[in-house]
Amino acid sequence: MIREHEGVIYKVSRVYFDQEEDQKDLYQEIVYQLWRSYDSFDERSKWSTWMYRVALNTAISYLKRAKSKVNKVSSERLDNFKMEPFDPVMEERIEWLYKSIQTLSVIEKGIILLYLEGKPHEEIASITGFSTSNVGTRISRIKEKLKRQISK
Amino acid sequence: MELEEMKGLWENMSDELDRQKLLTDKMVVEMTRQKYRDKLSQISLPETVGTVVCFAMAAYALFNFGKLDTWYLMLCGVISIVFCLVLPILSLQSIDRMKQIDLGKNSYREALIQYAKQKDRFVKVQKAGYYLGFVFALAVLPVAGKLMRGKDLLLDAKLWLWYIPFALAFHFLFSKWVWKHYSSIARGARTLLDDLKE
Repeated sequence: MIREHEGVIYKVSRVYFDQEEDQKDLYQEIVYQLWRSYDSFDERSKWSTWMYRVALNTAISYLKRAKSKVNKVSSERLDNFKMEPFDPVMEERIEWLYKSIQTLSVIEKGIILLYLEGKPHEEIASITGFSTSNVGTRISRIKEKLKRQISK
Repeated sequence: MELEEMKGLWENMSDELDRQKLLTDKMVVEMTRQKYRDKLSQISLPETVGTVVCFAMAAYALFNFGKLDTWYLMLCGVISIVFCLVLPILSLQSIDRMKQIDLGKNSYREALIQYAKQKDRFVKVQKAGYYLGFVFALAVLPVAGKLMRGKDLLLDAKLWLWYIPFALAFHFLFSKWVWKHYSSIARGARTLLDDLKE
């Protein structure tokens, strides 16, 4: 199941960190936490909802450690972390996209990631714990924020 | 680029990522195994070492407490022992709580709230530890002098003449940094909590 969703893990890692080394560490940490937390997975709920929850919560708990550079582990197991390059124009746009998201707050990053993943407001609410209407408000606010950033 | 346009780009990228597979089953097993080993070997190492040193000092003072023969040396001894026992426990406890966020059960919001609250608590413990550290620095010197050399350093006026100004100057300069450093962390935690309340 982890392999099926590895693209999501990769995207979460890139949304929260701009340095490749940190992304690699977070990627491995999420894989580890998914494996470790599997017992807490309730079969009645959706696997993808649980997985996003673990991935996003791992990213939060990893932010502090990455800042303090404590508990860092070697990442030699993941030498080929970088995905194959897309065409140059798309590569540039994707880079810009990640950079824009990284300017958002930690709350907004989680919400925008789920929104871009095509999750409906109800599922975003279920993963994040905000009410559906609050998710809508926050998405509108993020839209405004990104718009302002583009017009700068 | 509008948000809808971003969404389109994100979808294209996601399709491409789904085609490219980085992981093999063997790599997943290897990564989890390595992470598991690393976790076991790196459980808050600096804090654990600090705690062992503090406990050793407390044990040493406790076993030799009988050598502290005046009321003021006894008082210094009690302050030193309490400090060496309580503060490392509080510090380890707050670090441990930070690690206890249930990643699978808590929602993103709950995890952020817990994280921010624990960070705030951690800052308070660190700040308290720092300020009490000054009292400890004053209390531990006479105890160490008596237990290790058999001398009552409190009667050595010359020593205190340079030790107190030195300790005060150091404390003043360092506290500025401590205040600035931890205040910004605490402010960040409070802003996050306010934002989550909306």
